[in-house]
Amino acid sequence: MVEQLIDTDKLKKIAEEVISREDVRLLIGYRKGTFGFRMRPAFVEEVSEVGELEFTPACVNNLATYLTNYERPPLPRGTTNDTRKVAVMVKGCDSRALLQQMVELAYKRDDVIILGIPCNGVIDPAKVDKRFPEAKGPGDVKREGDNFTFSADGKTETVPAAEVIADKCTRCRYPTPLVYDELLAPEVERFADDTYEDIAGLEKRGSDEKWAYWEEKFSRCVRCYGCRNVCPMCYCDECVLDRLSPQWMRRSVDISENTAYHISRAYHLAGRCIQCGECQRVCPMDIPIMEMNRKFYKDVAEFYEYEPGTDAEEKPLLSIFSVDDKEDFIL
Amino acid sequence: MAEKILIKERLGDALGELSKFRLLAPTKSDEVVLFKQIDDPAEAYLDYLNSTVPPKRVVFPQTETLFKFRAGEPDLEEKDPSEGETVIWGLRPCDARAMAIVEKLFNWDYEDPYYLKRREETTLVGLACSSIPSVNCFCTSVGGHPFGTEGLDVLLTDLGDKYLVEVVSDKGAKVAEALSGLLADAAGADKEAAAKLSTEAEKGISRTIGTEGLQEKLLNLWENPLWKKVSAACLGCGVCTYLCPTCHCFDIQDEVEEDEGRRARMWDSCMFCEYTLHGSGHNPRPTRRERTRNRINHKYSYFPSKFGDIACVGCARCINLCPVNIDILDILQQVVEA
Repeated sequence: MVEQLIDTDKLKKIAEEVISREDVRLLIGYRKGTFGFRMRPAFVEEVSEVGELEFTPACVNNLATYLTNYERPPLPRGTTNDTRKVAVMVKGCDSRALLQQMVELAYKRDDVIILGIPCNGVIDPAKVDKRFPEAKGPGDVKREGDNFTFSADGKTETVPAAEVIADKCTRCRYPTPLVYDELLAPEVERFADDTYEDIAGLEKRGSDEKWAYWEEKFSRCVRCYGCRNVCPMCYCDECVLDRLSPQWMRRSVDISENTAYHISRAYHLAGRCIQCGECQRVCPMDIPIMEMNRKFYKDVAEFYEYEPGTDAEEKPLLSIFSVDDKEDFIL
Repeated sequence: MAEKILIKERLGDALGELSKFRLLAPTKSDEVVLFKQIDDPAEAYLDYLNSTVPPKRVVFPQTETLFKFRAGEPDLEEKDPSEGETVIWGLRPCDARAMAIVEKLFNWDYEDPYYLKRREETTLVGLACSSIPSVNCFCTSVGGHPFGTEGLDVLLTDLGDKYLVEVVSDKGAKVAEALSGLLADAAGADKEAAAKLSTEAEKGISRTIGTEGLQEKLLNLWENPLWKKVSAACLGCGVCTYLCPTCHCFDIQDEVEEDEGRRARMWDSCMFCEYTLHGSGHNPRPTRRERTRNRINHKYSYFPSKFGDIACVGCARCINLCPVNIDILDILQQVVEA
C-alpha cells in the first residue's frame, strides 16, 4: 500500500532547525501554488516562513536547478557574497542532479544541506489540468494506494494513479534520494524498471522519417529557452546561446536555427542528463524533448556502462577515457 | 449592419469563400493550438480555450527580414512588409484587444511601416468566449470582456448549431459581404441567447484584481522587498513574454554569411539576461528581480501612463504556462497590499 509519505509537521520541524543554523542562509522547498493543483518553489530565509512548507505529489519542480541558476551581479564596493550553506528539498530523481552537479565541481558537498524526500511518484500537471480544467484551487493532492486524491473548491475526487502520474515516475529506479543529510521519511523500495519502451518507436524510424518527425516538432519551437533554464545541468557562466559577439547561434526562429539549438542542447547533455524530465514538462510547445535525452542516455549507458548522477566519486563521462571504450559506432 | 446567422454546417463553405484572402485559423498539433494559414477548412480547430502562441505573431512575426545587403553593392534590397489581404478567423476577444493596444505603440513617435502595413491588411474575426473561460482568465479586471469587440472587425458567438455574426467595422463588412450567400438574418431569440451567454461568461470569470491606483503605486515600490520575493523562483526564460499578446519588445540584428546578409527584427524578452545589456558589460537590470519588476511595471505603469491602457488583457497565458507558477495576479495582489 503506497501512502502519503511526508509528515508535514516533521518537515516543518526539521526545516526550522535547519534555517535557524547560523551557517545556513536559505532553504529551498515547496509551498502551495496559486491555482488548480499547482505547488511552487519556496525560498525560506526566516523561521517565520517555515509554516508555508509542504510536500505533496504535486511538487514536480526539480529544485536542484536553483543551486546553479543563481545570479552574480556586481557587488557594491566593500561587500561580499553570502557564502553560507543552502538547504534544498529533493526527490530521488532530483538528488541525481545534485550528484551530477557535484561530479562537475559546480559546488562542494559541504556547501549544501540535502533534505531527501523518498518519493513514490508525482503527478503530471498537464494531465491533471486536462482532467480538472475547472479546478480553481489552490487544491490538495494526496497519494492513497493506487490512487491520487484531488481536493479543490469543496470537492474531492479519486483518480487511478496510472492516469495522472508523470511518465518518468513509471520507470523510476531511484525513488529514494541517492544523496542526503536527512531523509524526511522511510526509504521507498525501487518499484519500477526502465525498459526504454517509450523510445523504441524513435529508434526504429529511418532517417527520413526521423527528420519529418523532428522537423514538425522543432518548427513549433519559439526558443523561449524554458527547457534550458529549468535544466539543473545547464549552468554555464555564459551560455553559447546568449553570446551576441560572436554570435554562435542566431536569434532568428526558423527550422534551421531551431534544429541547431535542439541538437546543441541535446549534445551538451549527453552523459550529463539525469532524466528529471523538467525540460519537457515546461515546454509550452509540447516538444518531446525527453525522447532525445532518453536516446542519448540509453546509448551512454550501453556504450560506456555509465549512468550520470549516481555516484559522487565518479568523473564526468567526457573526461574519462578507457582503451576498452567501444568504437564500433564511430564512422 | 444587423446581426446575421451562420449555420455551422456551412462553416466549411464560409472558410472556403474566405480562401481568396490569406486565411488563418486556430489549428491543433499535439497539445498545442496555433494560428496557421489553412488550405482545408477541416484544419480549423475552433473548440479551444485559447491558442498557445497569441495571433500577434501574424502581424508581428517572431523573425522578419527588413532588408538584405551584399558586399560591394550599395543598394539594399528592401523587403515588402505586405503579406496580402489577411483574415484571422476565430481569435479570442482578448487577443484582438491586445492588437488594438499594441498598435498605439507602433503608431506613436515613429510609425512602424512593417507592423502597421500588416495590421491594416488584416481583418479580425473573433470568437466570443461563450463557454466558461479558463480558471485564470481575468480580462474583466483590465478593461476587456469575454464578448468584447475592441480591435475586432467581426464577432462570432457560438450558439450550438450556428454562429451569431456581428459586424463591428467596415473591414468586417467586407468579410460579411464575401459570405453574404451563407448568412441569414438573426432572429430576436438568437440575440437574446448570445446576450445570456455573455452575462454567464462574465460571471464565469473568477479571478480579479483591482487596478485603480496601481500605475502610481508601482513607481513608489521600486525598492520594496516584494520584488525579491516574487522573482525568487524565476528561471529567466521567455515563456511569459513570448506568449504574451501585448509584449512587443524586439531586437534588430544583422545576420551575415560570407558576402551577403540581412537585417532582421526579432522578438526579444525583458526576462533574458542579455536584454538591454550594454556594450560595456553593464546591465541596467542585472538580476531577475529587476527584470520581473520591469515586466510588471511596463504593463501596469509605464504603458498606461503613455497610452492610457494597461498593457495586459488578462488572457492568463503567463499564469498557465509559467514553469514555476509565478502568477501575475499574485504579484499584483502583493503590490496592492504593500
